[in-house]
Amino acid sequence: MSSLIHFSGHQHFRQRLVLSILSGKHVRIDKIRSEDKNPGLRDFEVSLLRLLEKVTNGTIIEISVTGTAILLKPGIISGGSLSHDCPLSRSVGYFLEPIIMLAPFCKTPLQLTLRGITTDEHDLSADLIRTVTLPHLQLFGVSDGLELRIKKRGAPPEGGGEVQFLCPIVKQVKTLNFVDPGRIKRIRGAAHAVRVNPQFSNRMIEASRSILNRYIPDIYLYSDVYKGDESGKSPGYALSLLAESTTSAIHCAEAISQPGVAPEDIGLQATRALLAEVNMGGCVDRKHQTLVLLMMVLGSEDVGRCRMGEPTPRTIQFLRDVKSFFGTSFKIVPAEPGSSQLLYSCYGTGYVNANRALA
Amino acid sequence: MDDRPHKVHRPAQSGAKAEKKEKGKGKEKQHGFNEKAFAPKSGRRADRQGRRNVERDQTRLHVPLVNRTPDDEPPPVIVAIVGPPGVGKTTLLKSLVRRYAKQTLNDVKGPVTIVSGKKRRLTFIECNNDLNSMIDIGKIADLVLLMVDGSFGFEMETFEFLNILQSHGFPKVIGILTHLDLIKKAATLRDTKKALKKRFWTEIYQGAKLFYLSGVINGRYPDTEIMNLSRFISVMKFRPLVFRNTHSYLLADRLEDLTPRELVRTSKGKCDRTVTVYGYVRGTNLRLGTRVHIPGVGDLAMKSVTLLGDPCPMPNADSEKRRKLSEKKKLIIHAPMSDVGGVMYDKDAVWVNVPGSFTRGHGDVPQGEGEQMVMDLQDIGSTLEDAVAKSQIRLLGTSSRNLIVETPDMDIDGSDDDENDFSDDDDLDSQDEDEDLEDDSGIDSDAAEDDADEDQPRDLRNTGRSTHRTGTRTLPSSSKMQRTEIEYAESDSDLGDDEVLDDSGKRVRFGDDEDDRDIPSDEDDVEAEEADEEDETIPKWKLNLADRAQTSISSTRKTRRKDWTKLIYSTSLTPEQILEGAEEQEGGPREDEMDEDDFFQIKTSRAEGDDVLDQSKDVLSAAELKKWEDEEMLESIRHLFITGGGEGGEGEGEGDNGEEEGGAYGAEEDEGDDDDDEAAADPEATRAAALAAKKEVLKRKFDEQYDDPESSKLDFYEEKKDEMARQLALNRAEFDGIDSEARTLVEGFRPGQYVRVELADVPCELVENFDPTYPIVVGGLLPSEERFGFVQVRIKRHRWYARTLKNNDPLIFSLGWRRFQSVPVYSLDDHSIRMRMLKYTPEHMHCFATFYGPVALPNTGFCAFNSLLGETPGFRVSATGVVLNIDRSVKIVKKIKLTGVPYKIFKNTAFIKDMFNSALEVVKFEGANIRTVSGIRGQIKKALPKPDGAFRATFEDKVLKSDIIFLRAWYSVQPRKFYNSVTSLLLSDKAHWTGMRLTGQVRREEGLKTPLNANSTYKRVERPPRRFNPLLVPKKLQAALPFASKPKLMAPQQQQTYLQKRAVVMEPEEKKAVALLQQIRALRKDQVVRRKEKKDEKKVERKKKLAKEEVRKGEKDKVRKKEVMRIAGQKSKRDAEIEEGGSRKKRRKT
Repeated sequence: MSSLIHFSGHQHFRQRLVLSILSGKHVRIDKIRSEDKNPGLRDFEVSLLRLLEKVTNGTIIEISVTGTAILLKPGIISGGSLSHDCPLSRSVGYFLEPIIMLAPFCKTPLQLTLRGITTDEHDLSADLIRTVTLPHLQLFGVSDGLELRIKKRGAPPEGGGEVQFLCPIVKQVKTLNFVDPGRIKRIRGAAHAVRVNPQFSNRMIEASRSILNRYIPDIYLYSDVYKGDESGKSPGYALSLLAESTTSAIHCAEAISQPGVAPEDIGLQATRALLAEVNMGGCVDRKHQTLVLLMMVLGSEDVGRCRMGEPTPRTIQFLRDVKSFFGTSFKIVPAEPGSSQLLYSCYGTGYVNANRALA
Repeated sequence: MDDRPHKVHRPAQSGAKAEKKEKGKGKEKQHGFNEKAFAPKSGRRADRQGRRNVERDQTRLHVPLVNRTPDDEPPPVIVAIVGPPGVGKTTLLKSLVRRYAKQTLNDVKGPVTIVSGKKRRLTFIECNNDLNSMIDIGKIADLVLLMVDGSFGFEMETFEFLNILQSHGFPKVIGILTHLDLIKKAATLRDTKKALKKRFWTEIYQGAKLFYLSGVINGRYPDTEIMNLSRFISVMKFRPLVFRNTHSYLLADRLEDLTPRELVRTSKGKCDRTVTVYGYVRGTNLRLGTRVHIPGVGDLAMKSVTLLGDPCPMPNADSEKRRKLSEKKKLIIHAPMSDVGGVMYDKDAVWVNVPGSFTRGHGDVPQGEGEQMVMDLQDIGSTLEDAVAKSQIRLLGTSSRNLIVETPDMDIDGSDDDENDFSDDDDLDSQDEDEDLEDDSGIDSDAAEDDADEDQPRDLRNTGRSTHRTGTRTLPSSSKMQRTEIEYAESDSDLGDDEVLDDSGKRVRFGDDEDDRDIPSDEDDVEAEEADEEDETIPKWKLNLADRAQTSISSTRKTRRKDWTKLIYSTSLTPEQILEGAEEQEGGPREDEMDEDDFFQIKTSRAEGDDVLDQSKDVLSAAELKKWEDEEMLESIRHLFITGGGEGGEGEGEGDNGEEEGGAYGAEEDEGDDDDDEAAADPEATRAAALAAKKEVLKRKFDEQYDDPESSKLDFYEEKKDEMARQLALNRAEFDGIDSEARTLVEGFRPGQYVRVELADVPCELVENFDPTYPIVVGGLLPSEERFGFVQVRIKRHRWYARTLKNNDPLIFSLGWRRFQSVPVYSLDDHSIRMRMLKYTPEHMHCFATFYGPVALPNTGFCAFNSLLGETPGFRVSATGVVLNIDRSVKIVKKIKLTGVPYKIFKNTAFIKDMFNSALEVVKFEGANIRTVSGIRGQIKKALPKPDGAFRATFEDKVLKSDIIFLRAWYSVQPRKFYNSVTSLLLSDKAHWTGMRLTGQVRREEGLKTPLNANSTYKRVERPPRRFNPLLVPKKLQAALPFASKPKLMAPQQQQTYLQKRAVVMEPEEKKAVALLQQIRALRKDQVVRRKEKKDEKKVERKKKLAKEEVRKGEKDKVRKKEVMRIAGQKSKRDAEIEEGGSRKKRRKT
């Protein structure tokens, strides 16, 4: 029946699961940290598998005894009202990223409540997902009722945050044609400090403004206040920045508190990361390349085009995985001679949300 | 002479002409449009008329649909000829082919493709009377010629076919009435035509086109009638159908078995076969990696797809400058399974038919293609060895010697099915295959096809045969050598950019063979390894080309960037290596020396990155951030902000209409990093140009707004159509430039291309029982359609199907491409609370059905059958419907009543037994509502220890011991996971596929008796009369009761009463009085009787009188009527006479 696709290694675990569920092809991943001192799946990966099982109906996941191999036979994406407790080893971003890729193709609109850490140094924070990732989804016609509510914040290591993700369903995503990066017209940002001196966020903002003020006047960085029970269990603070262009291309960056580093330095770090990201150019920043490419593949049977910077290693592997799951390959050419930016174009697979019920 | 004026015209003043003119004067006004005539009389009417017009305009609009079929070179239109046997389908096909291609087909089998016009090709296919064929044809036909026997009328198959069409998207239908010559009487003919037309119109739509074909002349229909029909076909427009617009498919016009003969022999023909099918891609792009479904066979994997030259090419622009199609082009006909020009392709052989005696010495032109082929074979003047020696092929680029053939049977192509893998010279190829043709008939069809491709002078697009099959199949001559050389010279133009894997410089592959470049290799995953194994085959005469290419590459490598597409998709480098390589190229001054050292470096870096987390945020490197402390660096990106730099204005101006493809793209080109120096070179000119462009844009905007602000706004419909057109243009433009291999990799095979699809693991029965009259449809599947699940559909029993459909009876569905048998469970939505199972489909109403089977997208239509056999009486389409929902689990329930009896009754509490078997079951139902037959409601409380399954329950009133207690519950029903594909094409007797039978059917056929459960038989219910014991109140109690409460039980009177039994003795006076009274009463009685008699007599008399009068009246009436009729008759007679006389008079007058 459905052909089995085989992978090795624990890298790119999430995107392979997502592609498998979307394409309906069975996937087998083995040699998951088989050489490691602590072999097999980590707790967050197991938790992710559990979450995927909740979101889908009829999915069969078989994990080997040692935990170094799994077999996924995907079912249909059902969606609905769900909640999930994320382990403290990863933030909710780790779980939200694959869920965002699946959510538009559910049977019923997804209302997912995730509890755990909302901001950490590995994954996109809830702030960035709300302000940057969701607008990227809007490019593809997923807009009405798309929302991420940050109910509580939770800094590592104890967490205690809570976010609610609401996503509508679509029949088919729109074809993207996004080749003009435009120029940056505004910069927005949010600084938050929980269970520490609230002045910290202001200090981060000041430091950031010291660099950014030279470019454009339209800068608005606000400090997001969460008090009492809403501020989680651990102290922490972070600054997330985004730069929006005239064609609403968004680049973003973020820095979070580290022990022994002053808030000013965190602010500067975030700002410089943003500038580095802006310097990369393109219409989509590096953190969202895979999301945009996936949605382009899933578009109608037309040519979708997007201009981006050079692919990250993750993106390269993603492109290869997409080829093995959907058979779609991209045409990647320099956007213009001598430029480091690339123009990705592909022919959509005409993916239709088969899970959606008629009437 | 010249200057003499012409005679002036003098109009007639009298006579007939003048009179005529006089008459015409009054009429003059009526010429042209009389606006008064249609002016509304009242305002209300005007309003209504206006609204009606608007509504009528709206009916013209349809939902805009994207047409995925390219306009420039569409696939042939499939024209299916459908009708009951003996109606004249083959005759019509032959007539049409004769009309278009001027050829007579002897034996029509399979599809026949012809060129019908400058922009259109047609594929005719005849549909046999099998329901399976009708279903398959209905799914692919673009136009149906529905043939009806005029002398007989519509037959059941016609209606069945129309219903099949309806559920799979309605293609265009033209009705054709034949056998009209059998109706002799003109009046009958007229009536028949009218009746059939009316019926046809109700089936299709009012005004559907219906053609009438009279008799057959020379085995064909009359030419004028066929010409009319062909004109209709040629101007027909087709609206894209949703299902076909989302699936790619092809109608196989040829099938070929590629299984090694040895394997077939050793397995006695029972091994799975490798089969190729040929056809035009239709619908959407056919992509590799997807699976296909052949209705009647099953799901198959495409092993490879090869682009072939078009066997029936469209006339191209340069050959067809004229308005009409040239006669030469008309002659092209492609019908591999029919006998055209003496060549017939079978599944494993090519048959060449030659007429009578066949000798070379005829001198005249060969009869057909087949004969030409054989002639060519005889013409071979040189051997393979000679040809190879001439061509000077080297196996390896470095080999010093040319290829020499030592054994004559060095069969390269024969051993390797995929002849395109091995790049070879043309001559070698053809020669080689010619030998094949002689010694092995097994593969000669393949070779011949290949040969046919090879022979055509090809342009870059490889449109295949561009001329009529006039047998260009000649031996390699010097002129041909030249031609190929020219082609190679052309081919080096794209040598630099696509065939060279540049980064390592280890493999340089050249597009040395036309096939290699035109026909994309299919196993793209393994392409890399394949390329590794494959040695370079560079002929000697190409070496200089290679050198040139090398030098050009090494010179351009400095400036050229990586080919990302190649790096990502066709190398096995890790992502990190790819990126590292990029940096190496950018940073390192010595790019040429990129060798193995780099790999080792990367290896180590990769080893340390082995425990890299799966994270989306990049690790912020300190060095990267450090850079941004530098003021210069900060300044350098100022141009990326709207406030930055001189070119800001330009950038912003373009940013507004950045969505437009060309404009934005062009704008970016002069915007990027490199425009600093450009601007420096000629700042004045660029600024002026930018200013001019900006002004132009503003001016246009102003003009638009000032002239008509509404005009720039389009309505929704126009906007959508515009959007689609723009997207289609973009689709075309995006991949226009790139070479066809890369293009196929990205977008698949476009509709209209002629491809060869190689299918692996095909059941051998398909080949063994191959019958060309049954269509082979290769339908592409979407990824979701390969999966299985529970499909919920809305279904309605067809009103012409005689029986109701029973739950859990197998039904044959035709859904998507597939035909399969499954077991549906019918259900209805019960107040939106539950799905409740139905035992039978409701009459005249939709219901839901859920079955296990392959998934189809919601909103796909289907039709269902109970049996596909031809001998099934009555209408075979049993149900139609639409897919609603796909799921992996279903929740359908049916009602179940559990009954129990009370065995001990307290006040409102009772102990119930016999409802459950164990305490565990009771626990599951604690708190459930129960009820007695008499309607006393209650609740289950708790299980009792003693009898197993007994429980305590409370009721709202005291129950009786005779009451039956029941619990109403819902039992969930799972549809059976039964799926059975209709594999009709695998049978030798294709019309007699049998699926799962009903139990009753099996019993009937096996002669088994239905097992009878004794408990299930109906027995007479014996209900003994219920006896109630008398209520006994103890004496003592009775005595104590008040009177009203005392039981009043008295036996009925037995003896006569005193009044009844006493004797009466009257006094004499009394006696007299009584006697008198009696007499008076008697008199009165008598009087009444006599009066009544008299009345009756009178009544009879009156009746008689009335009857008499009635008779008289009737007579009078009769006379009057007679008089009237006489007068009327006379009058009509007179009228007729007058008329006749008048005409006679007139005639006499003239």
